[in-house]
Amino acid sequence: MRSVHLLVPALLLLLAFPVSRGRYNDDFDDGEDIADFDDNDFAEFEDMNDDQAAEAETAPPPRASPSSQPEEEEEDEDEATVELEDGLDGFEDSEAQDQDMYSKYDQEEFEGIGDMEKGHSMKDPLIIHTVPAHLQNSWESYYMEILMVTGLLAYIMNYLIGKNKNSRLAQAWFNSHKELLESNFALVGDDGTSKEAVSTGKLNQENEHIYNLWCSGRVCCEGMLIQLKFLKRQDLLNVLARMMRPIGDQVQIKVTLNEDDMDTFVFAVGTKKVMAKLQKEMQDLSEFCGDKPKSGAKFGLPDSLSILSEMGEVTDGVMDNKMVHYITNNAEKIESIHFSDQFSGPKVMQEEGQPLKLPETKRTLLFTFNVPGMGNTSPKDMESLLPLMNMVIYSIDKVKKLRLNREGKMKADRNRARVEENFLKQTHAQRQEAAQTRREEKKRAEKERIMSEEDPERQRRLEEAAQRREQKKIEKKQMKMKQIKVKAM
Amino acid sequence: MMSFNNVSDPRRQNKILRYKAPSTETNPTLEDPTPDYMNLLGMIFSMCGLMLKWCAWIAVYCSFISFANSRSSEDTKQMMSSFMLSISAVVMSYLQNPQPMSPPW
Repeated sequence: MRSVHLLVPALLLLLAFPVSRGRYNDDFDDGEDIADFDDNDFAEFEDMNDDQAAEAETAPPPRASPSSQPEEEEEDEDEATVELEDGLDGFEDSEAQDQDMYSKYDQEEFEGIGDMEKGHSMKDPLIIHTVPAHLQNSWESYYMEILMVTGLLAYIMNYLIGKNKNSRLAQAWFNSHKELLESNFALVGDDGTSKEAVSTGKLNQENEHIYNLWCSGRVCCEGMLIQLKFLKRQDLLNVLARMMRPIGDQVQIKVTLNEDDMDTFVFAVGTKKVMAKLQKEMQDLSEFCGDKPKSGAKFGLPDSLSILSEMGEVTDGVMDNKMVHYITNNAEKIESIHFSDQFSGPKVMQEEGQPLKLPETKRTLLFTFNVPGMGNTSPKDMESLLPLMNMVIYSIDKVKKLRLNREGKMKADRNRARVEENFLKQTHAQRQEAAQTRREEKKRAEKERIMSEEDPERQRRLEEAAQRREQKKIEKKQMKMKQIKVKAM
Repeated sequence: MMSFNNVSDPRRQNKILRYKAPSTETNPTLEDPTPDYMNLLGMIFSMCGLMLKWCAWIAVYCSFISFANSRSSEDTKQMMSSFMLSISAVVMSYLQNPQPMSPPW
C-alpha cells in the first residue's frame, strides 16, 4: 500500500518534469555542467532522496536548482511535497522533514510558504476517469454480445443440420417401404387437398420432425396412417435436453377398420412400462382390460413384454405362431401393439357441469415402433423396420379372419353393455340437470313470448294454451306412475 | 388384363378413402404447445427488452425456438412478425444505450 502511495507523487513528478524541463534546459544550454553545481545546492534534497530512493530514480537529478532561484525552489518543494488524498499518511516521515525544512527557511527570504502549505490542502486530488466502454475502440468489451450472436449462429447451424438429418431419415424409410406399400395399397400418399384421389407418392411433412403417410384402398381395412415421429433434431434446446435423457425416434402406424373387418375385442402387447402406462391412460384398455398385464413369457414372447387382454380367447387367437415369431424377432423395436374395436384415444378430462357423451369409438390397430439407435439413427436403421411393416400387413389380414366363438362373443357384448351402463349412471345426474335447465329455458322463452305480445287477446289465448299443455304433461306423468305401480304389483 | 399373381392383389381401387387431418379439437393433448408458448414469451421479452438488454436477446432466442418448433401449416407471417419484433427490441435497446451488456455475476 505504501508503495502505491509513493507512486502518486512519482507520477506527478513525471508530469511536472516536462513543465520544468524547459527551464532546466535553458540552464544547461549555457553550457554549464552538472558537476559545476555545488554539492551544497543539492543538500536540501538529500534527505528526501534517501526516502524516495526507489521511486525517485526517474526523478531527474537536474532538479537541483541554484538557490538564487527561490521560486523554482518553492516549486521544487511543491513537487517534493505532494498533497495526498485524505486518510493516507504515507508521507509522515517526509512531511515531518518537510516541515523541518520549512522552519529552517528564513521567513523573509521565502514569501508565501505558509500560504503554500495551506494551498496544498485545497488542491483536489487528480482522478483519472476510465473511458466508457462503448467509446473505446475495442470489441473485447462487447464479449457478452459476441457470445449471444455466436449462440444464435450455433442454433441456426443446428437447425439446418437437424432438419436435414430428419429429412434424410424420412426419405430412407420411405424408399425402403415404398415397394411394400405400393403392392398393398391403391393409394399411397395423400394430403387430402387434391380433388382426385391420386397417390402423391411422397410423405407429408407436418413439421421439421413429423412426417405423415396415408395409405388406403385395400381389403380388410379402411386406411392406414403412418407417422414418423423423429426427435426434434432441429431444436438445439431439445438436443441438449436429450443429452440428459436419451430417447429414440418412433414410427406410429394406425390402421382403421370397418365393422366387417374386425370382431369385438380389445388386446394390447408391449413393454411392461408402456403397458402399465397405457392401461391407465387409454379409455378402452382401462375399461375392458382391468386385470394387471400378464407376462409375455407365458405365450412364448420375451419376458420384457407383457400382455393386456379382454379375455384369454383373444390372446390365444391373436398370438399365433407367426405373430409370436414376428414379435420375438423384433422385440427391441416394439413399444406397443394395440388392437381394439372400442378405440377412442386417451381418457379425456371431463369438464365440470358438461354431460359427457359416450366417446366415439373406431375399430383400430395401433402399432408403435422404436427406431433402433436411440437417437443416433442412421438411414440404414430405417431399413430394419421393414419386417415390422410386414407384421402390420399380416395383422390386418389376421384380424379380419379372427372371430370369437359364441361364448367369447357373449362375454364381449356383456362387457360393452356394462361399460355403457356405468357411463350412463355416472352421467345420469349431469344429464338430469341438463334436461332440467333445458326445460326451464323453454318455459322462460315461452313466457317472454307471451309477455311481449302486445295484443291482450292474443296474450290471453297463448296463456291458456300454455296452461293446457302443462295440464296435459301432468296428466301424462300421473298415468305413467299408475302404470308403473300396476306393473310392480 | 391383370397379370396372374400367385397371391391375389389386396389393393382395391373402390375402397379408397381420402386423408382427413386428425382434428386437434378432439385430441388437444397431441398438439405440441411449444411454438405458441415461445411466441408469447418472445413477445413479452421483446416488451421488457426495451428496458433491459438481456431480455431483448432472450426474445430473439425465443422467436428462433418458436420458428424451429413450428408446424408447416402455421402462418409464416406471425413467425416473421415475432422475429422482427425481437430484432427491433435488440436494436432499439442498443441505440438507446450503447454500453455493452454486463454479465449478472
